[in-house]
Amino acid sequence: MNVIRTLTSLVVVFAALAVTAFAAPKSIKVATDATWPPMEMVDANKHIVGYDIDFLNAVAKEAGVTVEFKNTAWDGIFAGLDSGQYDAIISSVTITPERSAKYDFTDAYTSIGQILVVPKTDKTSRTIADLKGKKVGSQIGTTGAMEVKKVPGVESKTYDEIGLAFEDMAAGRISGVVCDEPVAAHFALQKKEYKSKFKIVGKPFTKEGYGIVVKKGNKELVALLNKGIKAVKAKKLDVKIHTKWVK
Amino acid sequence: MIDVGDGAAIPHKNDAGLFTAWRIAFFGSIVLCLFLAFGRPDQYMAIFLFVPDGILITFKVTVGAILLAIVFGLIAGLGRISSNRLINGTASLYVEIIRGVPLLVQLFYIYYALGRFVKIPDMLSAIIAMAFCYGAYMAEIFRAGIQSIPKGQMEAALSLGMSRGQAMRQVILPQAFKVVLPPIGNEFIALLKDSSLVSILAVADLLRRGREYASETFNYFETYTVIALIYLIMTLFFSKLIGIMEERLNEGR
Repeated sequence: MNVIRTLTSLVVVFAALAVTAFAAPKSIKVATDATWPPMEMVDANKHIVGYDIDFLNAVAKEAGVTVEFKNTAWDGIFAGLDSGQYDAIISSVTITPERSAKYDFTDAYTSIGQILVVPKTDKTSRTIADLKGKKVGSQIGTTGAMEVKKVPGVESKTYDEIGLAFEDMAAGRISGVVCDEPVAAHFALQKKEYKSKFKIVGKPFTKEGYGIVVKKGNKELVALLNKGIKAVKAKKLDVKIHTKWVK
Repeated sequence: MIDVGDGAAIPHKNDAGLFTAWRIAFFGSIVLCLFLAFGRPDQYMAIFLFVPDGILITFKVTVGAILLAIVFGLIAGLGRISSNRLINGTASLYVEIIRGVPLLVQLFYIYYALGRFVKIPDMLSAIIAMAFCYGAYMAEIFRAGIQSIPKGQMEAALSLGMSRGQAMRQVILPQAFKVVLPPIGNEFIALLKDSSLVSILAVADLLRRGREYASETFNYFETYTVIALIYLIMTLFFSKLIGIMEERLNEGR
């Protein structure tokens, strides 16, 4: 009897929670792949930190909600959104037509471009096309991977995490890595293991905007987040966050 | 003769009639693949066209690893029955250490940790790592197989004036081979499935190709359905093949 009563009350409580959660999203669950420094990463204390994290927290504050971050592997991060494991993704997601067809995006909150990193010993390569017949690494399912695949004659290698691609280049197995410019700068210019080994070549060769991703049709959340993004930009908080993380 | 392992279990001799589990699964998967590719070409055809080079890589890694694992296993297996304490100790240590470390960790270790010191190409690195792991299990199979041959055989060979090595090569191992073939077949099937782990090393195997496709098109359901079906067809095909080889060997007994 007691068990049934407890269960019933639990169901009631959960139902009530679900209803309130639906009515006013007090807290939203947001997935991020924290292997993309300095945009999102795990610090020494195992906390998820980075540009996107600070930015979304600022947005949420302006929008009057709280955020609970969930560290999720990039490969499959969209599938988790499909199955409702979280409400949104902030993970340096470039707004592309293919992604927009399946998911809804907020307004772009920052713009970046893809860039090529090569070993310092490579004196000639300036673009991906210069690496014909060689292997070029990127993270699976990223705009960087799509750029590499576009170049005929270059063997694309896709990694679960961008750090593994850089490590493979350090081991001499691949000749270049393509990723977002701030991430490239973090690995090639700041990381002490790689600083002496890698260099960034050329200028960013794409123009991309990051957006926060939500499930197709979740208009309320998009509107709420856009409102927050506008407020953050109006207060120039994004500039502060940018100087804090992107050097 | 002692039966080591349960052999390739799926194509079992006791299965009777037209509708064996193997046939249903194997031909069912093939029919389903054809239906998806040609009946639903919009969603599925592109996937079938995207993954074939991954199948080839999966096959290469599996075959390369099993051959190398047989070599490692035979050496370590002989080491395990050696009376030389150093050889025996080394072989036993290898088996104990490898069997105690998860394959995924070994793959990362050989690829990334050792990659700092020795430069091994990615495919070879994956094959060596898989072979190193499976060699330890193979060693135990060989040890059991050799020990299953009655002691009298060795004694008889020795009394005929053969050296120990000669007796091992010409009398014991040919008999032991029959005993170890079914469990090696099982290891082959297990290795074929575990080869999907090499996708974490950015080796473009079947699973990695599937993940690349899914992560760019977001067709997770369709992609992984196809990947699972292809793996299933491959394992069923090889388990049947191993079953047939086994039967042939038994006929010769």
